[in-house]
Amino acid sequence: MKTYIKISIILFTFLFFSFPFPAIAQDHSQLKFNCSLCHACETPTKSNPCLIVCPREKMMTVYMSPAKSPAVIKMDKLKSVQDLYEPVIFSHRIHAEMSEMSGGCEMCHHYNPPGDVVGCDNCHESGRQRTDISKPDLKGAYHRQCMDCHQEWSNNVACESCHETNESGKSAYTVKDYQQTRVHPEIKVPTKLVYNTTHEKGKLVTFFHNEHTDIYGLDCKSCHQQESCAKCHSTEPEKKVEKVSLEVKHKNCSSCHDTKVKTGCASCHSSKEMAPFNHLARSGFNLKSYHSKLNCTSCHQSKSVFTGLNSSCQSCHSEWNSSNFNHKVTGLILDEMHVEFDCGDCHESEDYSKKPSCEGCHDDMTYPANKPGKLVK
Amino acid sequence: MGELNRRNFLKTLGVAGATISGIPANKLLAQSKSDLSEDRMGVLVDTTVCIGCRRCEWACKTAHDIPAGNLEDYSDESVFENMRRPANDAYTVVNRYENPADPRSPLNVKVQCMHCDHPACVSACIVGAFSKEENGAVIWDTDMCIGCRYCMVACPFQVPTFDYDKAIQPNIHKCDFCFERTKEGLLPACVEICPVEAITYGRRRNLIEVAEKRIELYPDRYVNKIYGFTEVGGTSWMYLSSRNFEELDFPKLGDKPAPGVSESIQHGIFAYFVPPIALYALLGGIMWISKNKDNKGEGKE
Repeated sequence: MKTYIKISIILFTFLFFSFPFPAIAQDHSQLKFNCSLCHACETPTKSNPCLIVCPREKMMTVYMSPAKSPAVIKMDKLKSVQDLYEPVIFSHRIHAEMSEMSGGCEMCHHYNPPGDVVGCDNCHESGRQRTDISKPDLKGAYHRQCMDCHQEWSNNVACESCHETNESGKSAYTVKDYQQTRVHPEIKVPTKLVYNTTHEKGKLVTFFHNEHTDIYGLDCKSCHQQESCAKCHSTEPEKKVEKVSLEVKHKNCSSCHDTKVKTGCASCHSSKEMAPFNHLARSGFNLKSYHSKLNCTSCHQSKSVFTGLNSSCQSCHSEWNSSNFNHKVTGLILDEMHVEFDCGDCHESEDYSKKPSCEGCHDDMTYPANKPGKLVK
Repeated sequence: MGELNRRNFLKTLGVAGATISGIPANKLLAQSKSDLSEDRMGVLVDTTVCIGCRRCEWACKTAHDIPAGNLEDYSDESVFENMRRPANDAYTVVNRYENPADPRSPLNVKVQCMHCDHPACVSACIVGAFSKEENGAVIWDTDMCIGCRYCMVACPFQVPTFDYDKAIQPNIHKCDFCFERTKEGLLPACVEICPVEAITYGRRRNLIEVAEKRIELYPDRYVNKIYGFTEVGGTSWMYLSSRNFEELDFPKLGDKPAPGVSESIQHGIFAYFVPPIALYALLGGIMWISKNKDNKGEGKE
């Protein structure tokens, strides 16, 4: 028994202190909230923040990536000898990942002012006999968070669907057991999906899922709204799909794509599978090293308009000149002499695609045989 | 329904009795034996939170030494097909109702004694076995009980039940608000086991504040009513719901304490001893008239 307590304390401490959520020092004066929401005085200071109880709803300001969250948590803060059931071993990460397609982290972490993730027991007392009955106790809070969704998707409220029964009177069920018995298979994010449609001129719509998430910067929620576990695990018979209008069918696409009947079809519908997006082929501008990781919107700022930019660097980087551009990022630190020159003195083409020329000043030198500084990469 | 009709019948009788005695029924308001404590306890049942796991039923039976069976068997949801009432071997039951607003989250309604502030059973008990305790519980003394079942008839919620299957020493049964447990500082068994804390135990006045706050914060989630706040003069157990309470088989009751009816019957019938005398006078008169008639008949023959 003593060994068990020791192990559980160690495990518990480990899980909580190794919580990979970093303490985010957000400049929270920049938040949308009114200061008086949480601070009682005019000018709160670090030593005297004069905090009042923040509202419980809509305060999730700390976004944590599900991928960095703990995979499995043993929920044993309420452990007692007379327990009818074993503590739940909660697959946190899979829940966090799936929540991205519905309400997000704040579905459970409904209150999180800037800083570390707030544990449920920060506000919800662990004893049911208490003076402040305005919010549920810890047991109630835990179960409400789970049952809100679980009863909806499985219609199953049996305790045994999450808990093992505590028959022996001592906990024998471990995280390892859990990992062997109750593991959700990895959810594979598709790369490419080809939809077979009824459109006459172009039956096939090739949808590159990876491009939309990785390049175009869409988060899951922008398309997958209100998708709970029931999307895959529904216990109810599938409803017959009713005839929906074109508008509804294209709802997810039309926020970015032109889906108007007269003009838009050809941009997605084709008789053949389409090739992945290629910026060079489309626009003639090659997204090389510096630009490949950017979201579309970092350059194409007007919503859903992707034209109007040219290959001249100045069309985006208008503020750059020889005095404020750190040439080191190109892999070459200019020497004292060259750092004084204007960019155009060496770089003749506006898009900096041609190699720099030395001929303006030097007769006997060429790039890259001679370099105007020191290479760093 | 039988009991309801019987009650209606008794009500009519009571009104008739009161009319005979010339005293209007509404003047005969029930008076509690002792003043109600400001700190009396209560429970707030949130039917929108309850998941219908029925663990409260198991805990209640276990706490009252009623054979409870296996805990796992309570996960069987087929019992929801029929509407159930508290029985002599189940002091609390959970019934399930559809939720038109969200069909996937049905409403679950736990039923047990409401522990009225002005209990009709206390008033109706002719041997004084029932009492309203300071902590809010309505309890009774089994040793004093003579099994007359007046409490069953008087209860506006039809809660007390009876050992009809026992020939010898049948008892009255109902939820006792876990009086023995709370006396020792424990929570009522159902409150303790509830996984989602759909049943909140606390001072009645605090529970009303909590309930009002919930309705104010989530007007879409709740109908604007706390059932039990004013019903029959107020009850210790109170309910929140997203559907109208009548649709969940809660009886529609006025704000007047229920003993007003039962006491008006009892007091009315015997008020100043006038109705009994009047009744005997009437019966005597009839006897006297018919006796005279008989005598006359005999004389003719």
